[in-house]
Amino acid sequence: MTFTSQANCASRARTALGFTGMLLLAACASTPPAPTANLQAAQQAIAAAERGEAARYAPGELSEAHTKLALADTAVTEKRMVVAEHFADQSRAEAELASAKTSAAKASAVNDEMKRSNGTLVDEMKRGSGDKP
Amino acid sequence: MNTTNQSNVIVRRTLIAMAVASILLVAACATAPVKPDGAAEARVKLTQLQSDPNLASRAAVAIKDADAAVRAAEQPEMNKELAAHRVYLADRKVDTAKALAEARFAEDQRAGLTAQRDSARLDARTHEADAAKIQAATARAEGAEQKLAADQARSEAGAAQLAAASSEQQAAELQRQIDVLQAKPTDRGLVLTLGDVLFTTGRADLKPGATGNLDKLVAFLNKYPDRSVAIQGYTDSVGTEDFNQRLSERRADSVKSYLTGQGIGSTRLSALGKGRNDPVADNDSATGRQQNRRVEVIISNPPAALR
Repeated sequence: MTFTSQANCASRARTALGFTGMLLLAACASTPPAPTANLQAAQQAIAAAERGEAARYAPGELSEAHTKLALADTAVTEKRMVVAEHFADQSRAEAELASAKTSAAKASAVNDEMKRSNGTLVDEMKRGSGDKP
Repeated sequence: MNTTNQSNVIVRRTLIAMAVASILLVAACATAPVKPDGAAEARVKLTQLQSDPNLASRAAVAIKDADAAVRAAEQPEMNKELAAHRVYLADRKVDTAKALAEARFAEDQRAGLTAQRDSARLDARTHEADAAKIQAATARAEGAEQKLAADQARSEAGAAQLAAASSEQQAAELQRQIDVLQAKPTDRGLVLTLGDVLFTTGRADLKPGATGNLDKLVAFLNKYPDRSVAIQGYTDSVGTEDFNQRLSERRADSVKSYLTGQGIGSTRLSALGKGRNDPVADNDSATGRQQNRRVEVIISNPPAALR
């Protein structure tokens, strides 16, 4: 009796172990969901950058954002979701940087133009009305 | 004895091992907060941005985001890939914050530039106005100059007129003097005929008190010092030729010496006797002979008198 009860104990323990193993396997087998939100955010950031003429003012950053987004997509197809999420976030950060640099370059270009035109005014004034008939 | 020795050795070894292990652990703890590679660089960039007076206040939200990202990147992380990812994000976010702040700064500068432009435009207009004023003033000055020139021309014309008037006046004066002298303008010059009333018959001395006419001549010669005088004595046909010749000479000389006595330079005077030659009237009548007895004073025309 005691032996049988001991045997029962052992079998139960085995069963428990088996369950645990099954659960662990199941956990490993079920891949985490794709980082859809992060990928979308990256795509939107890239689209915004392109609308702002980032291709002209920050081509390096924009290109890098595209590259990172492509890497994220590849990682998704390879079920490497964590990596995919990282690439998506990096792509977004890169696209946002492209937008910011574009804004800065545009603002600076406007200011330069204003300075140039002010300088022209001052120069014309200094040259005097001698040129005008 | 052996067993106790052995157990002692084991205990000692265990203690040493534990000590070493604890030292290692302590050392590990001391170096535990190892920041991932690149986090420090991101922090440096962020600090620079935050201490830039032109930029720090201009992208507050982005800088706060960047700060959070840098702090996350600075967390020790065993997972190299995750650590690198966080550093990447931190780096980009700091750059983004900086670019946004720069854009905002440039926009804020625009007000100043606009003010500058307005001021430059104002200056330009003021300058133009000034230039116009100067031009107007120059034109006015030129006008004044022209007026001055015109005035000058007018005054010159006036002077010429005046000169003309003056020369007319002089001519009139001369005429008046000539009239006073009762001289006759001829080709030889002004001829002043002194009648024989000046002289006693047969003598060359001037009658005292009969020099009025000669005094007028002196006055005239003093007034016109560029004129010289030729004095010519004439007689009638009564008496010998020789006598008449000498008489005419002495009478001419007498007039000359009177004139020199009145201060007329002798170089301006010449005296000549013509005797009974060149009668101006008939010697047959007393009136004719009286007219022939005379001294003619010929006042030469001045060199510029033709003017």
